[in-house]
Amino acid sequence: MDKLTAKFIEEATEHIQSIEQNMLLLENDPENPSYIEIIFRAMHTLKGAGSMFGFENISELTHDLENIYDTIRSGKRKITRDIFDITLQSIDHIKAQLQYRNEIPEENHHSQLILQQKIREIQDQPSGEASGPLSSAAPRTRQEVSKDASTYYISFKPHINIFDNGTNPLYLVDELAGLGQSLVIPYLQQVPDLSSLDPYACYAYWEIFLATETDISTIHDVFLFVEDRCALEIHKISDSNLLNEKRFIRRIEKQGRDDHDIGINEAIIIADEFRDPVSTKVKKAMVDAAAFGSKDYSISSIRVSSDKLDQLMNLVSELVTTQARLSLYAQNDGSNELNTITETTQKLSRQLRDLTFEIALVPIDTLVTRFHRLVRDLSRELGKHVIFETMGTETELDKTIIENLTDPLMHIIRNCLDHGIESTETRLALGKPEYGKILMNAYHSSTNVHIEIIDDGAGLNLEKIRSKAIRQGMITGETVLSEKQIQELIFRPGFSTAEIVTDVSGRGVGMDVVKQKITGIRGEIAVDSEKNKGTKITLIIPLTLSIIDGLLVQVEDIRYVIPLSAIKKIYAIQHKQLGKSFNNQIMLDGNLIPYFSLRQEFECSDIDDQAIEQIILIEYENQKVGLVVDSVIGEYQAVLKPIGKHYKSQEIISAATILGDGTVSLVIDTSRIIAHFNSKFETSEVKI
Amino acid sequence: MNTNATELQKNAIHSYLTFKLGEELFAVNVSNVLNILELTRITKVPQAPPYMKGVINLRGNVLPLIDTRVKFGMTATEYTNNTCILVLEIHLEKENIKVGALVDSVQEVIELQTEVIMPPPNIGSRYKSSYIDGMAKVSDGFIMILNVEDIFSGEDVINLQDVTDQMRQSIQ
Repeated sequence: MDKLTAKFIEEATEHIQSIEQNMLLLENDPENPSYIEIIFRAMHTLKGAGSMFGFENISELTHDLENIYDTIRSGKRKITRDIFDITLQSIDHIKAQLQYRNEIPEENHHSQLILQQKIREIQDQPSGEASGPLSSAAPRTRQEVSKDASTYYISFKPHINIFDNGTNPLYLVDELAGLGQSLVIPYLQQVPDLSSLDPYACYAYWEIFLATETDISTIHDVFLFVEDRCALEIHKISDSNLLNEKRFIRRIEKQGRDDHDIGINEAIIIADEFRDPVSTKVKKAMVDAAAFGSKDYSISSIRVSSDKLDQLMNLVSELVTTQARLSLYAQNDGSNELNTITETTQKLSRQLRDLTFEIALVPIDTLVTRFHRLVRDLSRELGKHVIFETMGTETELDKTIIENLTDPLMHIIRNCLDHGIESTETRLALGKPEYGKILMNAYHSSTNVHIEIIDDGAGLNLEKIRSKAIRQGMITGETVLSEKQIQELIFRPGFSTAEIVTDVSGRGVGMDVVKQKITGIRGEIAVDSEKNKGTKITLIIPLTLSIIDGLLVQVEDIRYVIPLSAIKKIYAIQHKQLGKSFNNQIMLDGNLIPYFSLRQEFECSDIDDQAIEQIILIEYENQKVGLVVDSVIGEYQAVLKPIGKHYKSQEIISAATILGDGTVSLVIDTSRIIAHFNSKFETSEVKI
Repeated sequence: MNTNATELQKNAIHSYLTFKLGEELFAVNVSNVLNILELTRITKVPQAPPYMKGVINLRGNVLPLIDTRVKFGMTATEYTNNTCILVLEIHLEKENIKVGALVDSVQEVIELQTEVIMPPPNIGSRYKSSYIDGMAKVSDGFIMILNVEDIFSGEDVINLQDVTDQMRQSIQ
């Protein structure tokens, strides 16, 4: 039962998400009936499933709400702000209930009563027309079907256990009938004697002839939530509205009376009799196709538990590690045949790796509803007018990264609303549009995804940041900092400029926590702000967390991996040339490049002057730095492993990986090495 | 899994793994010990505290390795045939993590009754007495029972020589 409850919670969460999403869409487009339809449907499912799994509170609440939406759906009531707010509040309430499962605290009961009270009040409000119960026949006549509608044959055979997830098949039939003119033939002959009847099983099935102008995908959509719980056949049997032909209806009804279903083949043959002869050939082909049981759609996506994905990911990681061992062995063994096989498996494992990563990618879109909601609620609370826009939300990221991004992004958007966007009066006084704008823009850039949060608010107050930093003892009054450096102070631990600690932000855990979280997923964060123009916060996030393509290099007796994505070029150089250079800079291809000797940095012994070393040119944010290593070994797919909390103060090493021979190699974090280099460079400048 | 001697039931028998650092005998509760490994190839991690010896490959996972001698303020471990790595499981920042500890040699598993374990004496404020769960007298001297949780999760170097001297004095 626990497992089932968990399943219910999972599904309910999805429904809630869908309701929330559609509520927000509806707010912008209140006339659109399709959103109401989806909301209604989701509520209906919630209601049924809720009571089945003992969430009576949810079921009661959604029942009342559903009634309201039913009247809206049938045009008897217009959606109002009150309805809107109460729905969102109820959704929040339901969310909380799902979290507490069955141990619902007392205050929650209380809020339930208040909500129900409010809903009833809305229900009792006059809505123009009497809002009596909606008769099931109502939608059937809703749409006048023109003569050019097509006729579809639908065979809907629910699985015996369809009730298990709270679906009422009759409702689906009803909804289908709402699409146009319909002829529904129920089949009840499978219903057993009362003695052997299982009240939780569904024995009935239906054949439906539907004349509608909508296309076949809309019909499929009706069955969206039960597709895997029923046998469904949907076929277009005629390009005209056969249901206008009385003869056709009589014919079908006669067929249907013989206790066995008509079937698609028969349906097409009957339909054929009522058709202009020209298109007979086409229909004949359709009958053939139907006879082979071919479906005109196939399952385009399936649901897989994320645990399984994690397992798959781990297995692929292990495969890649084993592959490295095999490659090493084959190389040393030298047998031609073994080498060929190894190369092939290497190629395969690489493809498998890439594919597995792709599977685990989730579009950023999944986060957006939450942000819309946040902006909506918060802007209202703060009395500010804000529009939230998104771009590139189809950009995909690893699901674990997405999970880790939610909180930081929430925080950033909160900051935009609280500190960034000014009050309406201030905006108007500055000649800005009344409505503030927050834009979330996501896009790919090499092996990273960039996410920008841009607002057109006041921008960072450099004076305030500076004086605050001085007060906090981060800098002294004499420290000379560029604008950029001042802006970056907001990422320092313990920095928060909110003068009054509001509920929204400024609880002292500001941007430094955001930065910490982003760094935790090997990401970067940058801020760019202009006074009275706005602020742009850019997050640069790696596509995946677990496997990277790297270059294996050697320094003294230890091998390191440098992410290939950061490497621009490799140069060979004699050690003594480095010795002559000034201020750790060297001429490469006519450019003066600062370099970083890993031997020096890692406190290794000095190398012979004659020795040839390699300089690996890495680039990050238009900054180039050379890394001096002893030698380059080759390309390597590194499965990243954490090096553990004991090394948390490690600056340059971001992870470790296991090499083919079983030794551990360390992965160098190129962006941090550049940052490290910069800070070193700056302090040395100050000394001069 | 609790190694705190004060919470152990009286007369209960507990198993301890004993090992040597130099001539000194130590013990850890077996419940903390996952494996004993022979010395393997260690990858040094640059710019780490001196007692962090590096990382090793523990069946496909990366295990941080602590030089127990350096951690206890002794000279660095010299590798011999007897040098071993104890794989310990400790609780750090709400997580169970694994850590390797280099020791000079592993001795045996002994069973000690709670009553023979002497509680750690108060040994001055300079040292956290939480590093030591207690002491036990065995035929050839004292065994110091370590609280691995506190020792291997902290960042400080413990000058164990001072601690042992003081404890010995206070017992005798």
